[in-house]
Amino acid sequence: MLKSWKLKEIVLMSLFAVVFGIVYLLFLHIGNIWAGFVGPIAYEWIFGIWFIVSIICMYIIRKPGAAVISETIAATIEVVLGNAVGPRLILSGVIQGLGAEAVFAATRYKRFDLWVLMLAGVGSSVFSFAYGYLLGGFTVFSTGYVALMLGIRILSGALLAGVGGKAVADGLLATGSLRGYAISRPKKGDVRA
Amino acid sequence: MRSLLHRMNPSVKFLLITVCMFTMAFFFDPWTPLIFCVGVLLLQVLFSQVDWKKWTLFMIPFFITAFGYFWTTLVFAKESSGPIIWSIGSVGVTEIQLDHALSLSFRVLAFSSLSMLFALTTNPVTFILSLMQQLKLSPKIAYGILVGFQFLPVIKDEFIQIQQAQRLRGMFQKKNALQRLLASRLVLIPLLAGAVRKAERSAFAMEARGFTGEPRSSFFRVITVGKVDALLVALFLFVLVLSCTNTFWLS
Repeated sequence: MLKSWKLKEIVLMSLFAVVFGIVYLLFLHIGNIWAGFVGPIAYEWIFGIWFIVSIICMYIIRKPGAAVISETIAATIEVVLGNAVGPRLILSGVIQGLGAEAVFAATRYKRFDLWVLMLAGVGSSVFSFAYGYLLGGFTVFSTGYVALMLGIRILSGALLAGVGGKAVADGLLATGSLRGYAISRPKKGDVRA
Repeated sequence: MRSLLHRMNPSVKFLLITVCMFTMAFFFDPWTPLIFCVGVLLLQVLFSQVDWKKWTLFMIPFFITAFGYFWTTLVFAKESSGPIIWSIGSVGVTEIQLDHALSLSFRVLAFSSLSMLFALTTNPVTFILSLMQQLKLSPKIAYGILVGFQFLPVIKDEFIQIQQAQRLRGMFQKKNALQRLLASRLVLIPLLAGAVRKAERSAFAMEARGFTGEPRSSFFRVITVGKVDALLVALFLFVLVLSCTNTFWLS
């Protein structure tokens, strides 16, 4: 799978991971403190932010694996930065990435419009929720409360990661620095090509 | 003795901690995570030189989280029958609910003490090198991550520079902290554009110096697995088994 990857694409994912690693850490601290007052549901509102790297990288690079690899790298860098949540983040990174990857794979890596990106956010939400359900011990909560948590997380994944991710990547595209990546390759029937 | 955990192979440590966490996920009594947490702390006291002041500081948010879990579980728990042993306002608490609540909060503490153990005793660069050598992570990705890691201070500086440049041009007139926090999203895109250029430059430089990203068999810095790892794995598993079997020897 890695054969078709250029080194500059991997280093790009790594540098994005550093930038977003800092953003992630910031949100984690906000979430932690908030969680003390409103319980584990506090994380659900902001959960989408943790999927944003996989969506931005897939939108830019458009190669199979971009979502999983970028999210895993981001999680690893977060651990390396001295995050107190520690090594289990790497595993949750892989799982979140797989959720987004599954959606992109279902479209055969051909469609990258807003709906697909939002669905990818939802995919990450669902996968990460299943993982959180096991590790966080959500089985002891009542069904209604769990459903509420899942609903908020899906919403957050679609909006923060899907819409937010597209907005950031489009903003970046407008700066012209993404020349040389799949995102700025001309579409079929584009006159500029 | 005091440096054993620091000398432990990072990949082994990583796998060990993952196994411990998944095992903990199957227990819903308060004792298992509590005993495990104490055991991990004991191991950390014995085999590492940790700055305990730093440790306490990092643990504070987790104590808050644990408290959040505690009361949420009490209030939003599944219906469970049984005599009510405690009531807060109109919410009656049964023994099972209290057990679950304590269990989940201790689980948060057990997880975070494990994570702190990893974070405070592992060198980041050694960890990535070990992932490449022991767990067969592709060198392309491993060195990619290391490049990103080395750029961290540069990106920090750049963040401040962009912010100052924007302020010079009068973009921020906001005074309060929340508005300044929200405004920092405007720094994101220039920062990312800079990151793209840096990525291209450094990838080009690496390839120009003959980096192919092919899997290799010999390394400049060799990370080994040895007796220390076997000993520590045995100790951790002992603590794990001890905490999981508490029903047999506790009561």
